[in-house]
Amino acid sequence: MGKRILILFIFASVIGYSQNRPLLYNVDDLPQALLQNPGTRIDFTKHIGVPFFSQIHVFAGSTGVTTYDVFSDENPNVNQRVQNVMNRITSGDYFSINEQLEILSFGWKIGARGYISAGVYQELDVFAYFPKDPALLAFEGNADYIGKDFKFSDANFTGEVLTTYHVGFNYKVDPKLSVGARFKLYSGIFNAESTQNDGAFRTIETPNGPNFYRHEVDGLDVVVNTSGYASLKEQESMTVDQAVAELLSRSFFGQNVGVGVDIGFNYRITEQFAINASIQDLGLMFHQKDVENYRYFGSYETNGLEPLFPELNNNQATIPYWEVFEEQLDANLKEETTYEEYNTWRPLKFNASFEFGTGKSILPCDYLISKKPRYMNLFGMLVSGVNRSKGPTYGVTAYWDRKVTDNLRFRLAYGVDDYSLTKLGLMVSSRFKNFNIYLAANDIIGYTNLAKANSASLQFGMQFIFKDL
Amino acid sequence: MFPLKSRIIPFIAIGLSLILTSCFKDVDFEQAQDIKLAPDLEVDLLFYQLNENDFLDSETNAFSPVIRDTVRLEFLDDDYIQDGLMYAEFRFRHENSFPNDIKSKIRFLNKAGREQFSVNYDIPAGSTDSLSVVDTLHVMEGGNIEKVRRSILMVVELEMPGGGKDIKGELDFSSKGLFKFEF
Repeated sequence: MGKRILILFIFASVIGYSQNRPLLYNVDDLPQALLQNPGTRIDFTKHIGVPFFSQIHVFAGSTGVTTYDVFSDENPNVNQRVQNVMNRITSGDYFSINEQLEILSFGWKIGARGYISAGVYQELDVFAYFPKDPALLAFEGNADYIGKDFKFSDANFTGEVLTTYHVGFNYKVDPKLSVGARFKLYSGIFNAESTQNDGAFRTIETPNGPNFYRHEVDGLDVVVNTSGYASLKEQESMTVDQAVAELLSRSFFGQNVGVGVDIGFNYRITEQFAINASIQDLGLMFHQKDVENYRYFGSYETNGLEPLFPELNNNQATIPYWEVFEEQLDANLKEETTYEEYNTWRPLKFNASFEFGTGKSILPCDYLISKKPRYMNLFGMLVSGVNRSKGPTYGVTAYWDRKVTDNLRFRLAYGVDDYSLTKLGLMVSSRFKNFNIYLAANDIIGYTNLAKANSASLQFGMQFIFKDL
Repeated sequence: MFPLKSRIIPFIAIGLSLILTSCFKDVDFEQAQDIKLAPDLEVDLLFYQLNENDFLDSETNAFSPVIRDTVRLEFLDDDYIQDGLMYAEFRFRHENSFPNDIKSKIRFLNKAGREQFSVNYDIPAGSTDSLSVVDTLHVMEGGNIEKVRRSILMVVELEMPGGGKDIKGELDFSSKGLFKFEF
């Protein structure tokens, strides 16, 4: 059994790539594990977070390029390095920033089998694919790319700030199975998204045409939807502080709302071996207030300007060819601002893992497995991902979770994803009486020099956790 | 309280040390000022397809040996474009089937109508079966690029000496510019 798991462990570690956040997943004595999987197995009977400090999570990453790739001080030719990056990076590479601040967090055991948990957190999520073709056109022009389609679909990004109010229920069906669900109400603060763009610009040679080339904008359809932006834009005199205060004031359902759910389960196949999975943020945001959308659309082609050699007197002005050209351009390539409501899916996250325990110990503090043995060493593998506009991103993480004592626990993790093939992570959680503090940092190697890191993430929190017997 | 502090302090210490020891090494952000956009743009300019009627007065049907027209190239009348323009390469191509030589003058004028530079050449006589082709490349760089920066009007002028109202033929013109910018 152990060998099979080890082989699967190694195999899965080398085939997966992605973005993940695994250090708090399956940590059965941290309430934050319930945010990752509402059906996870837990080892406490009550918790209350220190307001604003029960979870501070920050993540930033980019695939395909690091700060060092562009700003290396080894030689001064920064433009050559920019060009190298431009050549290497693809429209599938992306930049991502995610921040989560838990404002309130609390929960308590209900009956013999249930646990209810609730709270409020604020989240910022920015995800942008590298706009390869527009960037190539801006940096290098069309001269070396005659015949190439510069695709507008490469412009693809989402950005949102919101507050989430949530309540979840964890239920132990039997000694093997626990399930859970979390209902979420989203209060949108700000949203901008442009994910369904289409069309291309191209310059093609026309040996049988009237001029050397034909420049074409073909099927342009670029849409940028925003909510929570128009009112800020209109107040030109607003300072940054005022803008931040205005955004924060929208946290309490002042603007747009949405609903979502998390669901998950944990199943112990044997005493030592468990599997579990969850999905988070299966939900929609309904953008109905302070909406302003921008659309650019149309098609146009030109071979240049054609002088008609009109017969003119000395005082007569010639035909205003450029103005005519601009009028044609405006008639065919249009822009409009609309105020239509729109909906967005929240970025769906999914997790699936298995966990194998060794080092049996009898600790009667797990109400879900009361008076059952537990394991001091846990070896696990987690596949996780986030659904994004061009498809899901994946990550695989293998971890060793060690309960040193009932009050001290650490997890060492190795992961691979789109950002890095050498992602080492460390989580330490300690408890003194009922006070818990934890710290988790992923991609530790990157912390030694962030300039060379593709990603970095940090979670930190403190709370009161009760394990009543 | 001491034991609690002793628990929290290591975490804060680890967190702080992560933040403090994590830094950006081996990079020079001052180089951001040196990053430049350097697009090379191929742009069609003017084209025309003339026949004998274009050299005849529409009212009197008399032969007009000289015809001209002026086109405003508005995209050159922009500070951003003018400041960033470093190199310009013009290509002009004529295909002549008139049995007459034609003098072509292509002049670039500033806003005040003053000539900045010109490209003049003769197009030999051709025929329908054997087109006379003149393909000209004109490069403006170094100190000459200022002349392009100041230009906004493109004047095309054709003179057909020895022509008459019985002439037959066609004259096709195509032109483009390769503009290299540094922003």
